[in-house]
Amino acid sequence: MIEDGRVERRLWPVRAGDGALPAAVIGTVALVLADSSIVVLALPEIYRELDVSVATVVWVLISFNLVLALAAVPSARLAASRGPALVTFAGLIVFAAASLACGLAPTIEVLLLARCLQAAGGAAAVCASLELLPAAVGSERRAVAAWAAAGAAGAALGPGVGGLLTEFISWQSIFLVQVPASALLAVPLVAAARREAEVERPAREPAGRPHLAANMALGLISAGLAAALFLVVLLLIEGWRLSPAVAAAAVTVMPVAALATAPLARRIAAGVEARAAAGVILLTGGLAGLGLLPKASVVLTFPPQILVGIGLALTLSALTEAALAGRSSQAIHGGFTIAARHAGVVAGLLVLTPLFTADLDTQRRDAEEAGTAALLDAPLSAGAKLDLAGRIGDRIREEEDRVPVLGPAFEPLPDDPAERDQVTALRATIEDELDRAATHAFSRSFLLAAAFALAALIPIGLARRRLEL
Amino acid sequence: MSADPGRTSHGPESGRGPWSVSGARLLIAATAASLALVAVYLAAGGGAYEPTPVRDPCLPREWRSPDDLDQVAQQFTLSALDGAACELDVSRERLALALSTEESRAAFAAEHDISEDELEAAIRAGLERAIDDADAAGALPPFAATPLRELARQLPVEEAIRLIYGAGDVLALGAGLPERLGDLLPG
Repeated sequence: MIEDGRVERRLWPVRAGDGALPAAVIGTVALVLADSSIVVLALPEIYRELDVSVATVVWVLISFNLVLALAAVPSARLAASRGPALVTFAGLIVFAAASLACGLAPTIEVLLLARCLQAAGGAAAVCASLELLPAAVGSERRAVAAWAAAGAAGAALGPGVGGLLTEFISWQSIFLVQVPASALLAVPLVAAARREAEVERPAREPAGRPHLAANMALGLISAGLAAALFLVVLLLIEGWRLSPAVAAAAVTVMPVAALATAPLARRIAAGVEARAAAGVILLTGGLAGLGLLPKASVVLTFPPQILVGIGLALTLSALTEAALAGRSSQAIHGGFTIAARHAGVVAGLLVLTPLFTADLDTQRRDAEEAGTAALLDAPLSAGAKLDLAGRIGDRIREEEDRVPVLGPAFEPLPDDPAERDQVTALRATIEDELDRAATHAFSRSFLLAAAFALAALIPIGLARRRLEL
Repeated sequence: MSADPGRTSHGPESGRGPWSVSGARLLIAATAASLALVAVYLAAGGGAYEPTPVRDPCLPREWRSPDDLDQVAQQFTLSALDGAACELDVSRERLALALSTEESRAAFAAEHDISEDELEAAIRAGLERAIDDADAAGALPPFAATPLRELARQLPVEEAIRLIYGAGDVLALGAGLPERLGDLLPG
């Protein structure tokens, strides 16, 4: 029994410093929550290989987050009744098996089914782990902080890791590496589950009602955050036609900013509402900045990403603390936060995907027209124009509904130096048109995501006025 | 929404810990950083970074260098595309992409709900506008405009499209154009 804040209650039989258990539990949370975003950079590769549209492949993300949201609270209740170590262990095993199935999936249907199973196992592992942590790390407050930080780090680092694996191995490797990782994390849980089975279960306390304001705010910022991760990646790969590795390096700015800020955020003396509200404002500013990029430049995504990262560190920890403080059981209330966050991700993706796919299609067509205008008006001979037009047309048809990579259409360059300069200038003009179109195509979605994030100020403000919802 | 009894924002900020930042200061800093980013990006043209709008095909096109045959041929092509696109109420560029292959032409017609007859009529109208523009710019040999208009009215549509893109071949016939146009006409 430990005392923490306003709560005094019996905990499961895990001792502070119980071997590798705390590290395994924190690793489990990071691994599972990384999965909600780890495939983002692989999505273009997946939809090319499995021959589906962007609107379909986004369900690889939506299905996982939806099942995680739905299964979180029931999983937490299961952990409270059956024992958290056992449920975490079982969840990890299901997660590992489903990861293997994802990695071997030959069709989008199998992949989506495996993703659902992966989320179900993941929900059990993540929610149950919160019940184990307080005793393992010695304090409920430290447990919540570690749990929230592990989740944020996993979610933020996921895209970068996924991008590198996709670039240097394959999209399947993202899932296959999770099999041994899950198995490794499950090992310390075996002993804890055995000990758990030998002792009398703590008396079950009725779970109080969830902190609605904090959970609503978490849902809204998660909707905005999903956009930040998902849209930035698609902008870099699909819009600006960068490789997954370069895109992975570019989006690493956001988690680095979040991780660098997290320890500082905990030292800020301002209250929970102020930290949460400041985080929301930074998140909104960063997303609005991404929606207002003045040109297609990776470097220009860094300042908005830094604001998003700092905002994420401030607001996620503050809201998670608020949602869990003094509430019992931790697993069930942790389940509510997981459900709220991932429901927010699902809502964000469902609202934003049709918007940006429609905008991307419109802008791609506008760019094709602007590029064609540049070609028709270029100071080239009629023969050179017709030749280029044919090759550009072939590239556009090969890339079907995507923003085309037109570089190969301009190769080889003409031998005549004057004509070569003209073709090079034309290529730069057309590629600039494509970049303009792609960047503009994501603007409305980023601005809508910023509005989602900003809306989180409403529940935070209501809670501050003591109008608990 | 207090999470920590010792750390509430409702009371005076305690100033505990190494960073005694008050809630108000934190909010002001966050708002200033966000507004500064948005203002800088807007000032740098963020809101206006979008594809260059294409020209209205119904506007008159100014011809230049009427003595350079390649220039004349290209401007003839552009005027013809403008004329046809204006008839169909689409952009010149969209029509140029559509006319590149038979498949793209069929897809374009289906997308814009345009019948074969309407497309053919628009192409002929485009050719006539190009002939008018070339004539007005003094780019055609004397007396060539009338037989060229007749040609535009009678050519099969495939030949008419070829004439749009290959105007240089016809214009290269130079002074003998009026006499030799008869060879191109059907029958």
